[in-house]
Amino acid sequence: MNFEHCIRCTICVENCPVFRVNPEFPGPKQAGPDAQRFRSDRERVEDKWVLLCSQCKRCEMACPCGVEPAQIILREQQRYGKEHPQTAAHLLFANNYYLSALGSLTAPIANMVASTETGKKFFRKMGISTYIPFPKFRFRTLRNEKKNLNTGIKKVAFFFGCFINFYRPDIGRKIVRLLSAMNVDVVLPPQWCCGLPALGNGNLALAKYFAQKNAASLSNYIDAGYDVVYTCTSCGLCLLHDYPDILKIPQAKKIAENSYDLHEYIIKLINEGYIKPDFGEVRRKIAYHIPCHLRALEIGYPATKIMAMIPGLEYEILDDTCCGLSGSYGFKESNESTAVQLGNRAISLIRKTGAKDIVADCGSCRMQLGGLSGMTALDPAEILCESLGIKDQKS
Amino acid sequence: MSVIEYDVIIIGAGVAGLTAGAYLAGRGFRVALVTKGEPTACLSTGGIDVCSYNDNPLLGIKELPSDHPFHLVDEKIIRESLDNFQTAMNEMDMPYKGSAEKNRFILSALGTFKTSCLVPSTMEAAAQDAKESIHIITFKGLKDFYPGYIISRRKNAKFSIYDAGVSSTMGIASHFEEREFLEKFLLWLEKQNIYQDKIAFPAVLGLESATKITDTIAILTGKPVFEIPTLPPSMPGRRLFNALKKYFRKKGGEIYWGWPVIGVEKSEKIIEAVITSSKGRPNSLNGKAFILATGSFVGGGLTATREAIIENVFNLPVHVPGPRETWFDNDYFSLNHGIGRAGIIADSSLRPAGTPMENVFVCGGILANTEILKNGCGHGLALATAHLAAKSCMEYIR
Repeated sequence: MNFEHCIRCTICVENCPVFRVNPEFPGPKQAGPDAQRFRSDRERVEDKWVLLCSQCKRCEMACPCGVEPAQIILREQQRYGKEHPQTAAHLLFANNYYLSALGSLTAPIANMVASTETGKKFFRKMGISTYIPFPKFRFRTLRNEKKNLNTGIKKVAFFFGCFINFYRPDIGRKIVRLLSAMNVDVVLPPQWCCGLPALGNGNLALAKYFAQKNAASLSNYIDAGYDVVYTCTSCGLCLLHDYPDILKIPQAKKIAENSYDLHEYIIKLINEGYIKPDFGEVRRKIAYHIPCHLRALEIGYPATKIMAMIPGLEYEILDDTCCGLSGSYGFKESNESTAVQLGNRAISLIRKTGAKDIVADCGSCRMQLGGLSGMTALDPAEILCESLGIKDQKS
Repeated sequence: MSVIEYDVIIIGAGVAGLTAGAYLAGRGFRVALVTKGEPTACLSTGGIDVCSYNDNPLLGIKELPSDHPFHLVDEKIIRESLDNFQTAMNEMDMPYKGSAEKNRFILSALGTFKTSCLVPSTMEAAAQDAKESIHIITFKGLKDFYPGYIISRRKNAKFSIYDAGVSSTMGIASHFEEREFLEKFLLWLEKQNIYQDKIAFPAVLGLESATKITDTIAILTGKPVFEIPTLPPSMPGRRLFNALKKYFRKKGGEIYWGWPVIGVEKSEKIIEAVITSSKGRPNSLNGKAFILATGSFVGGGLTATREAIIENVFNLPVHVPGPRETWFDNDYFSLNHGIGRAGIIADSSLRPAGTPMENVFVCGGILANTEILKNGCGHGLALATAHLAAKSCMEYIR
């Protein structure tokens, strides 16, 4: 955690989105390396403000000295979660996976309830924000799909993540078809929530439970010659960063070495000469909002390399702002004001670009930016599919 | 295994790295920039100091000790680098004012004057002597900025306090970007009955629209308005970094954040690729030429151990100013710490001395014998050497 390497330069503070708008949060420097000098595992955590960190990891990406303030705070969040009674919102969001599974099974009813005023009132009573609409559950989730469209040399185990599975299985199906069209053998391995929502809500034990199950499943596929491809950048960060670190998963190294972001993987296929995609024109002007966790993955912005190859596509990269939602963070009433202020700031920068659509890799960024601005928010994979003429199978 | 072929890989995202990158990318080269974190430019006042020795910075350079790296750069290139910088900043809506022939002053948060060459337009109106009366507006709870310091040095200064609702520099600066906040603030300002010649603010007047905000306030009050740089977090430093970054991208450069270089692939005379750590597999980027712009100790380019000083990326030979006893002066505030001379010695094309490497060029604060604090030459030297390194790089690739 190397908090002693901190030279107190405050570059992390400049990068902290929460600190900018919420005076209750002392900022990554004080909450992280500064306070760490006074913490002891033998003492109870009394600093409730550790929960105000949204774990965007911007502080870590900015630090010139390699200190990881967010990681220091994450540990304190787990300790706080263990030592203090959890609020209803924390418990629900930690168990988002089960909640979503239930929501999908009862999709029409659940969606209806979530969109009525009574439903919203109920959510607010539970401490859950409703300033943007809750995403709609889909009855036909991605994991119910049974298909094997292709048998190429390259084999991919697709870690699609909860957002795609429960809310946007159509994007998931497109990605499967996209990879299949690239002569890749795609399977949907047994998988659970990556564990990040549980970590973000201070439930280390539940996060570990999910991580162990995923690791066992993915590890088998890797042994059988599959590469893991993820599309949600937060799932990806959890697999690559939290599994080996805070969750101490034994197979973590193997998983980290064999997991790829979807666009990173496609670039790899192009570089290896495995595919030569013929990109069709996409007449769009887009603002490419970089999710904080894509930055934190340290793989660059691979989708931009593909976007640069698509004729007609104009894009501008925006990587200085956090959308503010940070998964379930902004859905908690106590964080609503922070989330809305940050979201509006991100949108005002997006509007300045003159772009018509927003593109972001992360489902919750899209939910926030689309919900607050009323603009269309797309996954970069959707742009890619548009360029290659790949559609959701229904049409 | 490398992912994509680039012409030039730049290591370091400070003023030097981003400038060299934009220069090359703007001339059609494929440029990637890798960086471990954000640069020390973010901590700076945002001013471009060229040389504080003489009222005329270009003449001041001539008075520098003969081993100073400024002497490697032709005056024509120094002028070109300052011109290019001003053009770039105009394009990014963050104009810089000043001339290469005349130093000017920035009023500091202590009420002293700091010499600089080019300054952000938000500091253009800064009081240049003790005669002008100023009214300082500060913000409730703002740490690290106390108008009392300035007032104790100048009798003709007064201050008022505004409650912005937040008390951090970053927080106030982002509030100024919101129209409602600005309007409310202006209403308050109108009621302040300011009779002094000029209005001064700590540098919190916005992030990307600082120029516009400063102008708006000046028009409304009918008085010249200027910013006073604060301790870090320093908004003018961040604006400078953001503008350079945006300009580099606009020219076609690509930035890789959080990519600390952990190794290199090399043959006898050529660096082939840099390897950087990542959460999963190590990344590797190969290029025809490499520009090292990692800065000195704070920037992360150099590390000092008890016995030696190490260059962190290519392990280049480092010029050590003498035995350890001579590294530090007894007076902490002295400008004569020997360690300020540590760095990489380079030839006239900015290739590092004492190594057979042909395709590495060095620029910015990592160069030896700069004594940046003493000579007041930080960002100016970065701009000039970045241009020279970029030119040498182009020549090498051709």
